Amino acid sequence: MTGRTIADKIIDAHVCDADDTAFYRRVTVDAVLGHDATTALLIDDFNRRGLSIWDRSRVLLANDHFSPPATAERADISNRFLAFAREQEIPNLMVDRGICHQLLVEHELCQAGGLVVGADSHTVMAGGIGVCATGMGATDILFTLATGTTWLRRPQTIAVRFHGTLPGQASGRDIVLELLSILGESGAQYRSLEFHDESTPRLRQDDRFAIANMAVEIGAKFGVFVPDEITVDYYVKRDGALLGTLVRPDADAEYERMIDIDLSKLDARVAKPWSPANVVPLRELEPIRITSAFLGSCASGRLSDIQAAADELADRKVHPDVRFVVIPASMAVFAQALRAGYVETLTTAGAIVNHSSCGACGGIDKGVLGADDVCVSSSNRNFRGRMGHWQSRTYLASPRTVARAAVRGELAPDLYGDRGDDQP
Amino acid sequence: MITGRLWLFGDDVNTDVIHPPAFYSLDPDKVRRGLFHGYDPDMQPSVQPGDVLVAGRNFGCGSSRETSIRAIKLNNIGALIAIDFARIFFRNATNNGLPCLTFTDPGDLSRLHQGQRIAVDPDAATLRTEQGEVLPLTPPGEFVRRIWAAGGLLELLPKAGTARSQDS
Ligand code: SF4
Repeated sequence: MTGRTIADKIIDAHVCDADDTAFYRRVTVDAVLGHDATTALLIDDFNRRGLSIWDRSRVLLANDHFSPPATAERADISNRFLAFAREQEIPNLMVDRGICHQLLVEHELCQAGGLVVGADSHTVMAGGIGVCATGMGATDILFTLATGTTWLRRPQTIAVRFHGTLPGQASGRDIVLELLSILGESGAQYRSLEFHDESTPRLRQDDRFAIANMAVEIGAKFGVFVPDEITVDYYVKRDGALLGTLVRPDADAEYERMIDIDLSKLDARVAKPWSPANVVPLRELEPIRITSAFLGSCASGRLSDIQAAADELADRKVHPDVRFVVIPASMAVFAQALRAGYVETLTTAGAIVNHSSCGACGGIDKGVLGADDVCVSSSNRNFRGRMGHWQSRTYLASPRTVARAAVRGELAPDLYGDRGDDQP
Repeated sequence: MITGRLWLFGDDVNTDVIHPPAFYSLDPDKVRRGLFHGYDPDMQPSVQPGDVLVAGRNFGCGSSRETSIRAIKLNNIGALIAIDFARIFFRNATNNGLPCLTFTDPGDLSRLHQGQRIAVDPDAATLRTEQGEVLPLTPPGEFVRRIWAAGGLLELLPKAGTARSQDS
C-alpha cells in the first residue's frame, strides 16, 4: 500500500459510509461556514422543509458581503440572514466583524486536521493552517447544515514544494501568481494542492493564507500546507495551545505531480485582465495608468499586507489621479493596524481605509469600478465585470505592488527600480 | 430529451461572466435577467426553453454563488455540455437537477457551432445535431443519476420524522 497525502488522511478520518469503492464518499464535517449572500439563498428551502441544524456550535456565520448594506434590497437580504441566524441560535454569528474566511481562521472552530466546508469558494483558505477546507454552493451547504455530512470524491494531489529564500519585496501573492502561471485556471481542477514549505526562512502565516486562498483560482478542492512550526505557533497564539491534529503526508505519499518553485528567483508578478492566470513578471509589463488601487479581500487584507502598504506610503502621497481603498480583512486585523499606526500612515498619505468587509472585491460597494477605470488590486479575481463595469480592467498584484502603483499612478515595469532590485 | 439551440462558449467561462454580481438578488426576475448580461446583453432575451450551453474547459470556475445556476434554470436552459466543468459549479448544477455532461471526445466541440439546433439525451448521454450527427457524451456516475432521479440533492435529505436517511 502506498502512502497517503494530507487529503487522503483527512478524508479517511471523516468517512462515515461503508463502501470503500464508492466514487463519492460520505464524510462528516467539523465546521460549516456561511455568509450573508450565499446563506440567504438557502433559508427558504431550509424553513420550508422544517429542517434543523445538526450541531449549531459547529456553524460560523458572518455577514461580510453586505456589511453594512449599500442598498435597501441588500439590507433586506442582510436582515433575513441575521434573522435566520438568530432564530437558529447560532452561537458563532459574527455581525459586521469582517470577511468570513478571515473570521474562520481566527476562530477555534477551525482546527488543524479538520474537514471544513463553506458556502463560498474561498473557504479553501483555511488550508493555510493544515485544514482540508473547501467551498460549495448553497444547496450543498443546506444539506450539510441539516446532516453534518457531505459527499466528497477523493482528490488526486499535486505537491508544490517551495525552497530558497523569498526576496524581501515579494510575498505569498507573487508566489501564488507564479503557480497560476504554471498551472493555469484549471490546472488543479478537482485536485488537492499540498504545499511543502522548505524555504528559508519559512513563509509567514499571512503569505500561506494568500496562497491557500487562491488555490481555488487554480481549480483546487483543497490548498493545504503541511503543518510545521509556523502552524503550531499560529494555533498556540490563537488558542493558547495546539488543540487540533497535525496531519502530515506519508514519506511515500502518491502525488500526481510535483512542482518545485525556487523562491529566490521570484520577483513581482501581475495578472492582467481578465484572468488570474494571465500572469507576467511586472518587469515585462507595458506601463499602464491606473485610476484605482485596492488593498483588501480575503486573499490579502491581513496585517503584514497593510504593513507593506504603510511602508510604501510613509512620507509619500497617493497619486492625485488614484483612489486607493484599503480594507482590513477583519476587525481584529483593523484593531492591530490601528495600534501599529498603519491606518494613520495610510490615511495621511491619502488612502481610504474602509470597514472590514468584501467591499469592491465582488463588485459590491465602496470602490466599484466604472467603464474607464483601471484598477490594481490585491484581491483574488480579475474576472471581467467582477469589480464593476464590463469595460473596467483589473490587474492583480501583491499588496506592496498595489501600494507602489497607487503612489506612482501607474503600474510600471520599474516600480521596483530599473533592475527590479530596489530595496526600501 | 432536451431540444433547443446551442449557445457556444470557450474555456474558463467563470460565474461572474455567467451571472454578473450586480444581478445577485433573491428576486427571481432580476436573477433571470442577469444571465450573461455583460458578455452579451442580447443573449438572455432570446434564450428559449430547452436551449443548451456548450463550452470548452473549466466551465463555471470562480464563485460558488448559486444564483448563476438559478439564472440558468430560470431561463429554462435544458442542459450544459462542456469538455469539463469547475468543481463547485458542477456540484451546484447537479444538486439542482441541471444535467452537466462532458464530451467523450473533447475534439467533438469543434464540430458544433453557435445557434445550431441540437437534441441532448441525458440518460443515453448523447448529443444529436440537426444534420443527424450523434456525438457521444460521458454518462454520469450512479451517484449523479440518483440526484437527477430524485429531483435534486435536497430530495435525498431524511424526511422530517424519520431517524435516518435512506441513502446507506
Ligand atoms: S473578499 Fe472577495 S473573494 Fe473574499 S469572500 Fe469577499 S467577495 Fe469573495
